[in-house]
Amino acid sequence: MSAGDLGAAALRAALFLSLWGTGAAIYAAWRRDARVLASARVAAGIAFGLVVVAALSMMFALATHDFSILYVAENNARETPTFYSIISLWAALEGSILLWTAILAGATAFIAFRGTLAIPRLATTALAVMFAMLTFFLLLITTPAADPFARLAVAPDNGNGPNALLQNHPLMALHPPLLYLGYVLTSVPFAYAIASLILGEGGDRWLVATRRFALVSWALLGVGIIAGAWWSYAVLGWGGYWAWDPVENAAIMPWLTSTAYLHSVMVEEKRSLLRTWNLALVVATFALTILGTFLTRSGVVNSVHSFSLSAIGPLLLGYLVAILVLSVGLLLWRSARLRDAGPIGAPLSREAIFLFQNVLFMAATLTVLLGTLYPLVAEAISGAQLSIGGPYFDRVEIPLALALLFLMGIGPQLPWHGASRATLERQFTAPIVAAAAGAIAALVTGTTALAAVLTYALGAFVVATVVQEFTRGVRARRTLHGEGGIAAFSNLLRRSGRRYGGYVVHVGIVLVALAVATSQARTVDAEQTLAPGEALVVAGYTVRLDTIRPVSEPQRDSIVADLVVTGNGASEHLRPALVQYPNSAAAVGSPGIGAGLRDDLYTILAAYDQRTFSWATIRMRVIPGVSWLWLGGAVVGIGALIAALPAPRRRTVRMPVAEVAVSAK
Amino acid sequence: MNGRVVIAIALLALAAALVFAARPHDVTADERIDQITTELRCPVCQGLSVKDSTSETARQMRDLVAQRVREGKSNADIEAEFRAAYGDWIFLSPPVASWSGLVWLVPIAALGAGLVLVTGRLRSTDTPQAAGPSASEVAALRERVAREEAAEG
Repeated sequence: MSAGDLGAAALRAALFLSLWGTGAAIYAAWRRDARVLASARVAAGIAFGLVVVAALSMMFALATHDFSILYVAENNARETPTFYSIISLWAALEGSILLWTAILAGATAFIAFRGTLAIPRLATTALAVMFAMLTFFLLLITTPAADPFARLAVAPDNGNGPNALLQNHPLMALHPPLLYLGYVLTSVPFAYAIASLILGEGGDRWLVATRRFALVSWALLGVGIIAGAWWSYAVLGWGGYWAWDPVENAAIMPWLTSTAYLHSVMVEEKRSLLRTWNLALVVATFALTILGTFLTRSGVVNSVHSFSLSAIGPLLLGYLVAILVLSVGLLLWRSARLRDAGPIGAPLSREAIFLFQNVLFMAATLTVLLGTLYPLVAEAISGAQLSIGGPYFDRVEIPLALALLFLMGIGPQLPWHGASRATLERQFTAPIVAAAAGAIAALVTGTTALAAVLTYALGAFVVATVVQEFTRGVRARRTLHGEGGIAAFSNLLRRSGRRYGGYVVHVGIVLVALAVATSQARTVDAEQTLAPGEALVVAGYTVRLDTIRPVSEPQRDSIVADLVVTGNGASEHLRPALVQYPNSAAAVGSPGIGAGLRDDLYTILAAYDQRTFSWATIRMRVIPGVSWLWLGGAVVGIGALIAALPAPRRRTVRMPVAEVAVSAK
Repeated sequence: MNGRVVIAIALLALAAALVFAARPHDVTADERIDQITTELRCPVCQGLSVKDSTSETARQMRDLVAQRVREGKSNADIEAEFRAAYGDWIFLSPPVASWSGLVWLVPIAALGAGLVLVTGRLRSTDTPQAAGPSASEVAALRERVAREEAAEG
């Protein structure tokens, strides 16, 4: 039996189990039947195992170049290095949906085994929703719509090889799985929210049960988006990291609504307000992940990332409509029970800031949605062609982002319910001084565009509030618990991880904002045609062309320009190239990047003398501060991890025996 | 120094820095070329601007813009030339006064509506809170908060 047969059989068995699980979970929730629930649990576990077997079979088929499978023949070639063969699991539609299904099956199994122990009835209902979604995806990949194991009657001698852009950089191993994990995990809060609506159980139990899932999926989406920006920077070769491309927009929309949710959920926890709103945000986040997948996988929008087209579009659209109808219907049906009591708070209270923040995030999301869809709709209705790109999004989103940075500084500093004038003065003196220092620092270091100066000022403002919070927290622990400075700091992160991890995330976001502002405001570029030995000068850097030479590898042929960049204390050998893969018509530019904490040196081979290699057109971009973007992404990830890790004290509930043994000593 | 004085000085410094950044200044020819080419769509690319694209077409368009700037044409003249050749499609940011004005209107309207909605649900600062707590209650609460904060960390 070949790997393909094994994978196909595993998926069909998983589909059967998933159907059983859906029915069993519904029955178990309805009749509170523990035995039927146990069978659903086993079905979830085995289904997960089977989908993993299918995904591994596909990886094996790719690594062993089994061209009798259509997907392998289309996305792999004998010359493809093993590493790129294996990660080609997510190089095209069918494999991506297989990976997606595997993650969904994992989340379903997790709820079946862990979730149903904590709050049985709610989690069992949520399990039914998860199973229903899993069944949909298993149906997709076991029918011709997106069958990854579809066969060819005659296996070709060699395959087409992966898309040129997808085998050019190792970040491809990281960025799609992170995004898919983020996307799919948003289905867990969604399933619990739907379960809570179906059961009509008011209360906030669904929210407590899924808090960690919401945070983790948010963090994975965020880090995945930054990793995607990095990939795009290192591969697409135009010297930028974000182009407001439809696929990028599809990824950022659920991240925006999810960020809004993570904040407004605190209002519900503390004040039992905004119940309907939070449910709506969870539904919107999940629906936007499906909308994004539909947009980018159905071919309705053109994008640099849409590497695959298929007949899957109408099915995904149907799925999206079904989800929206069900969710909105449930929300309307239950809205009377979810009504909030009383007003929200004074304008200068933490909950009010969260609300304003939510409004800004909604406006930001709506703008992205509108900008992405409007050209499609306009063309469909009036036939008018129009473009909505970077300059439009920058004009609308940058003011919103600056306002959000401002709220990020004041929100955590305000008490719930309202603040007195004395509190305001105590909380904001140092941050306002920092903001002035930030603005002056921007001007002194040569960043003079207004939006960028504002970003520096607000960034310094936010960082000062975070430093102030940490200082006060450490000081309090030192006096109350007599801890040393370092112990107090680490205990702050461990014991109040949600709060202080959140502050770390804020610092990461500030780093990202500073990197974007600096690189947007101060990028300089120059382009010149050089003969070997000649040099071009830009922003104090000298770029000398040494040689232009062809390089042959089994899977590709390249033309490489050897450059030496000197100046401003740097001395780098960079090798931008034009890479020709056998399966792609045009050569792919591969930039030569010298990364630095101050400036990135981004070189592109734009054109060359094809006969005698006697000249090359070199483009050099000096991009300041862009490294801080990746660093900021890492800080966001670390902060989210601190916030998601359970505090040591809370573990007593889950592991009473171990904890008692420890505390008895 | 008094806290309020510090805040006032810092705000003044901040305002001065922002005013300095926002001051009108002469735009060089290169900056004008960048401004114009950032707004133009590279016709053979997927959503990239003429400024960013490395394609041959984009290079020719950059050269054309540079030539027009040297000839002393205004930004509006140059944009009109591209509009005549390609239509509104060539601009990455759609014109406000057209069919596509909606993409500008809707976000602003949504933002405004959202702010009005939220402000309406806030407690106005003037309304006195129903009977404030007594001094002893405040003291007891303070103590409890301190205790909880200590326990929380």
